[in-house]
Amino acid sequence: MKIVVAIKQVPNRDAPVRIAAGGKWIDESDLEWAMNEPDAHALEEALQLKEQHGGEVIVVSAGPERVAATIREALAKGADRGLHIVSDDLGARDALGVARLLAAVIKPENPDLVLTGLQSEDLGLGQTGVILAELLGLPHATLILHVEKTDAGLKVKRELEEGWFQSIDMSLPALLTMQSGGNKLRYATLMGIKRAKSKEMRAVSAAELGIELAPVVTLEQISAPKKQKSTQILSGSAKEAAAALVEKLKTEARVL
Amino acid sequence: MNLLPTLTEPRHFVLWERALFAALAGASAYGFWRRFGPILGRILQSKKDPDFRLFPITKRVRDFVWEVLLEAKVIRERPLAGVAHALVFWAFCVFALVTLNHCAAILGLGFLDPAGRVGRIYFAVAALFAIACAVAIACLFVRRFFVQPQWLGRLSWESGLIALLIFMLMATYLAAFFVAAPAGAVRALWWAHTLALLAFLPLIPHTKHLHLVLSPFSVFLSRGGFAQIPPLRGDEDFGLVAGKDLTRLVSLQAYSCVECGRCMEHCPANATGKQLNPKEIVLGLRGYLDEFGPASEEPLLGKYASQQAAFECTTCGACEFQCPVGIEHVPILVGLRRGAVNTGAWDDAYGAKLFLALEKGSNALGLSTTERDKFVEKNALSIFDGTQEYCLWLGCMGAYDPHGREIVLALVRIMRHLGTSFGVLRKEKCSGDPVRRLGNDFLFQQLAEANLDAMVQNRVKKIVSICPHCVRTIQEDWKEFGTPPEVEHHSEFLAKFASQLPSFQSQQKIVFHDPCYLGRYRNAYNEPRQVAALAGELVEAPRSRERSFCCGAGGGLAFLGEERGERVSHVRAAELAATGAEVIAAACPFCNTMFRDALAARGGGAPELMDIAQIAARRLPERNAG
Ligand code: SF4
Ligand code: SF4
Repeated sequence: MKIVVAIKQVPNRDAPVRIAAGGKWIDESDLEWAMNEPDAHALEEALQLKEQHGGEVIVVSAGPERVAATIREALAKGADRGLHIVSDDLGARDALGVARLLAAVIKPENPDLVLTGLQSEDLGLGQTGVILAELLGLPHATLILHVEKTDAGLKVKRELEEGWFQSIDMSLPALLTMQSGGNKLRYATLMGIKRAKSKEMRAVSAAELGIELAPVVTLEQISAPKKQKSTQILSGSAKEAAAALVEKLKTEARVL
Repeated sequence: MNLLPTLTEPRHFVLWERALFAALAGASAYGFWRRFGPILGRILQSKKDPDFRLFPITKRVRDFVWEVLLEAKVIRERPLAGVAHALVFWAFCVFALVTLNHCAAILGLGFLDPAGRVGRIYFAVAALFAIACAVAIACLFVRRFFVQPQWLGRLSWESGLIALLIFMLMATYLAAFFVAAPAGAVRALWWAHTLALLAFLPLIPHTKHLHLVLSPFSVFLSRGGFAQIPPLRGDEDFGLVAGKDLTRLVSLQAYSCVECGRCMEHCPANATGKQLNPKEIVLGLRGYLDEFGPASEEPLLGKYASQQAAFECTTCGACEFQCPVGIEHVPILVGLRRGAVNTGAWDDAYGAKLFLALEKGSNALGLSTTERDKFVEKNALSIFDGTQEYCLWLGCMGAYDPHGREIVLALVRIMRHLGTSFGVLRKEKCSGDPVRRLGNDFLFQQLAEANLDAMVQNRVKKIVSICPHCVRTIQEDWKEFGTPPEVEHHSEFLAKFASQLPSFQSQQKIVFHDPCYLGRYRNAYNEPRQVAALAGELVEAPRSRERSFCCGAGGGLAFLGEERGERVSHVRAAELAATGAEVIAAACPFCNTMFRDALAARGGGAPELMDIAQIAARRLPERNAG
């Protein structure tokens, strides 16, 4: 199975996010960057499918020079090949613009399966994946936790609200947007890093792809969320309060 | 002169005796070489140690004299058995010349005349050693076969036979002073001594007595630095994955083990029902080398050692510290972990969580760095800018753990009281201790390099830290990737200024727990005691200083899941509480958390737990300007 995983590099979760002068984007000078978490789970799913059924995993990412580090990380974790769409103005493109870039390099690969995270941790539009499916002319499913290869194609598990799940049979080729937490991520290893050095990584510039399209959505302004603190006192006996706390940690804070 | 007894040897030997001796000696030497040759081959065919340096040689010579010739370590750690062993060893040394002369005599080449001046004195001295040796070996025999300490392992007939042969050697030698006639008896004694000797030789490489030959080398050639983790070399070195990764030092050490069980006796994992037994790890390597050899691709974690055992080690170093033949267990255990982690073979939910947290984030606790920023801001800790004397290294525990923070703040109060200038880094990453000990070289390099970079950029010259793990990692392990600044543990800092700190001589009894990474790893035993003694009367736990028993957190284990068997921290906390002390003084934020939980589990009446910085800060005026 030939699998393409589209990943995005986003500011590290605990990076100090400051609004840049002009108010249209964040100040990138002091940031550290990381792989978008849902994309990391998409990559993990791809690697597991490859380990079970053989094939190839190709990683695609768009963004400036620094994005190469994230692609290399994916290669170190086990992807076979990397495609870097070099673009310095990703922030100015809308989801359609980014999806067009991705589609332009993915299409010639003719993959059996395209995986990507359901949304990015920075903008959280949740659209790039589905638009990409449309541009590639592939059927898609979203919010996927688990993928199983069947004789006919795929069986996927979607996460709905309130602890409900949906199971779907799909044919291949297809595109899936993956939910975080459906699989256990692997850690990077020294061996992986060393092996990644000899793996192919191709860079193409956005200009080379010839996709220069005025965005249909333009960003007006960004602002920091207002701080609000809400303290809750849990009543009842220690046992009840503890049970309520565990419940809240699970469902509201989602740390358990 | 004539008061000295004289040894009687046969006057001459007939031809057939000489022929028989030559044949037996040849057979004996063959028996020795048949086993020893391949062992030597396996050691020499192992990979060269990339970091091995013979020089500076002074420490090697000193260790050799102290540990091998004087047997100081053997005696210090197990006095009775140690002295007995030393007597046997020294008798062997003295007997080297006696034996050489004994064998030379039959060929007519004897060089010590029993009736001559030198010979007489030498043989008489040897006789004294022989008496001591005979008594000692008899005592050791009784211990081995009747007292049966469990760490010596199962009884083996070889041990008994060896003891018997040594006893015979001594007895036949001594008897020759009393039997001067008839010639037949003299001859019989000579042959009895010779036969014992020739039987002994081939037994050496077939039994643990191989240490007679190898341990002088293993002591002399050991890496020398305590628990020192060697660098990886080249693109195909991931640690100890298979036989091909075993270095000459590791193979030499594997064959040098004398199976004394000191390592397992002191191992906290072994003492609390874990699978790990450091002695079995060493003997496992020997078994592996015997079966697969040093070029094999067969995984080391398999038939002869389990992955689970390798990851139960707290890297406390008690085993390595105790080992009388210079075996370095910690680099071996960490090497096995490196092999498993660097190739991705180790699959552990907690381990993966820790690694992923450090791949993305800055600290082992997986918290947001803004938490650290808030802590720094709230307590008005100035940012280090190169002008202050000390860079106060917070570490993950000091920056993120509530109790670790209290320790840092106690130290801060003291430093402010003393007027010492200090600042904290604006950004700090985990020192890399847990990932280093768990064998994740990729992450360790990343963390060490990022931190070393910050050190250079901020012109840091001197660091003080509350965490012995950070201190060790910064000082020793970072060296692989650059030049770390000078580092002090806060106990060392506080001890320097102890006279300027308010002391309060109360009747309160304080027991100090030596953290492994401060004591055995850094040799700082007195400094923390000096600080703790400011506030009361020190009492000692049964296992203290070099013999201190781990809290269970080291080696990255603080971040892994539930232990099997008993918890190490509970065992140690019970031991500390049993001293009757009102205060348990700790000097490591990890020991602190481990004991906090363990003491809480014990319930009421448990002693108070404090870091030495908190003890020293207790008497300071409440508020002092920052
Ligand atoms: S370092 Fe400590 S825990 Fe590890 S094997 Fe040695 S004694 Fe046991
Ligand atoms: S490794 Fe050292 S301490 Fe352990 S049994 Fe062998 S010789 Fe004794």
